[in-house]
Amino acid sequence: MDSTWWAVARSEEVTGKKPLSVDIGDRPVVLWRDLEGRPRALEDRCPHRRAPLSLGCIRKEGWIQCGYHGWSYDGETGRVREIPNLKNEQRFSPVYRAERYAVHEAAGFVRISQDTEAAPPQTAVIDMPLSGTVDVALDHDRYLAALFDEPGLLLSITGVHFTTYLMSELHEQGGQLVMERSCQWKRPHWPAAFSSDYPLTLISTTEPLTGETALLLRDRDFRDLLSMRLAPVPAGRGVTSVRWRAAAGAGLPNFAGRALAWLNPVKVHPTVDGAALRKLKPTASVVFDELRRALHPSPAQSVA
Amino acid sequence: MLDLPHDVRDEQSNSSMDPSPGTRFSANGWMPHGIVLKDTWFPLAHADAIGERPARRAVYSHPYYLWRDKGAVIASEFHPREKVTRAASELTGGTGRYPVMERYGYVWGWFGNPGAADEIHLPNLPFLPPKGGLPGHMRGTVRFDCTAPLSLENLIDLTHADFLHANVVGDEKSESEDIKVFSDSETITMIRHCIGKSVAPAMRFFGGVKAKTQEVRQVIRIYVRSHAAIAYGRFRPGDDVPLFHPCVPETRDRTRLDFAMNTSRSHNLFRYVMPKASYLVSRQDSSMTSPQSARYARPEKRRDLHSKLDGPSTGYRVLMQQLAARQAAGDFAYRADGIVSKDCSEIIGCDPGMFPYPN
Repeated sequence: MDSTWWAVARSEEVTGKKPLSVDIGDRPVVLWRDLEGRPRALEDRCPHRRAPLSLGCIRKEGWIQCGYHGWSYDGETGRVREIPNLKNEQRFSPVYRAERYAVHEAAGFVRISQDTEAAPPQTAVIDMPLSGTVDVALDHDRYLAALFDEPGLLLSITGVHFTTYLMSELHEQGGQLVMERSCQWKRPHWPAAFSSDYPLTLISTTEPLTGETALLLRDRDFRDLLSMRLAPVPAGRGVTSVRWRAAAGAGLPNFAGRALAWLNPVKVHPTVDGAALRKLKPTASVVFDELRRALHPSPAQSVA
Repeated sequence: MLDLPHDVRDEQSNSSMDPSPGTRFSANGWMPHGIVLKDTWFPLAHADAIGERPARRAVYSHPYYLWRDKGAVIASEFHPREKVTRAASELTGGTGRYPVMERYGYVWGWFGNPGAADEIHLPNLPFLPPKGGLPGHMRGTVRFDCTAPLSLENLIDLTHADFLHANVVGDEKSESEDIKVFSDSETITMIRHCIGKSVAPAMRFFGGVKAKTQEVRQVIRIYVRSHAAIAYGRFRPGDDVPLFHPCVPETRDRTRLDFAMNTSRSHNLFRYVMPKASYLVSRQDSSMTSPQSARYARPEKRRDLHSKLDGPSTGYRVLMQQLAARQAAGDFAYRADGIVSKDCSEIIGCDPGMFPYPN
């Protein structure tokens, strides 16, 4: 059983009002909140006639109800709790259940795992008020390779230019893949290749299986300007669903920090410039597969 | 002119330098990204670029933070404001501080066993003032998105210069051309002597050279462990153009070059213009070495082709592998023929009277 935890939603996307359809690879998943506000996840497939549960609704009991024949499931066990034409039947055989996922919510992300006994993931607890979701027509591995080789193709931070220069190549550190890229402010200056010192650095720490990446933008005086968490998940048809959260200005003096946070400097692009991507030469990403295989001989994508 | 394919894949190593006599090193089997040479000084920064505010450098992704405390330079694994969450590495003997020294206007950081750090292993640069002080317009910084050995191979492969940099150094036309290559256990030197060579445009326009041809003696000397090179050009009529060309491997695929070109004995305009040519030349080089680099990062079944003009670069590849093999076998010592701090003025053709700096 695959125990990988995928960050398939931001907390605010999962509600008790309307089911949310997501997917991990070709496997559809429905998310919602139960009566107590706990996020629940089932395979987005009614075991009765295979209709997507996400087309149904959430009942006042906190169950999810299929929109086709009205079968209702509780998210905690996945078991059928009610069938409209059999309301006198209070008990159903245990085989009457939808496939359930383990759910864990922390730091603004909802993560799920196919392994219902999986140990909860270790996650950062930092509050990141800025957030967004994009679906990018690029498969998960290529999305990560582009993130390692040229993050500017996938996201932008207002006023910041990502150079091609690395101060630390992609390497393993405590089970994570870490690298550091030099950055400049976007303003008139020497071309990046001729600058003596770069004022900014972007440190990325990537979970090798899921590609979930923590980004930290730091200035030359070691002040944290922006923290970000990017969660790319392989979705259907080779699309990558990317959820992200960010907090800006935490390490800056009062006014500058507040202004940066207010401006929301982060944009994660929903499209990729194909011409630039085609010409992008693999550099940092060259060692990605090798490092990942060393840490996890069986890539998680095979379950997706 | 070309003699293709000239196969040097089985070039025999010098058994006196080889840890296991009979081992054969291959110019084609060279995978520079996989070679990390230790126990050496790297010129991490121009000395006057380092002040009290920490500056960030790296060697093979290992962080080097440089700053001055009461004038003395410090090289640390950690930023002074860093909340230390990792242990100090063996490269600092667990102290967090690297051996560091200043010479020739550079801050040099030691990479390797800190107990082996010794200034006797500092490359000799006879055309730079030992205590620094070269004017700012003769220095600069360039970065390459490629592995450092490819930048050095590019430098020692002078035949590319006549083609890729013809607008700066002149074309390949000459009445005669002679190339010599020799090496010891730590350095490789190439001497190219051309008679009747087309005058370099930079020298014609800014150096006051009116003749149509020149006698040119160009020397490239690579200190292999330090990934640093001397490029000494002597042009007659014309000037001497001595360049220090260090290629610091900040990562295995990125290279920092804090260059110094001592044009203090050159014509007025030339002395200001020529160092700036480095920016143009490096752009031209980078356009080739950057896409090249990833193609040398993995084993390659197809062999590179070589011409008879590629002796210096294949020799460099082989010497680098010999050093790597020695280090892999646990031998990090410098040999008697590899005292890199020994005066190399005669080898590079630098007249001692031209740059009479007191030590």
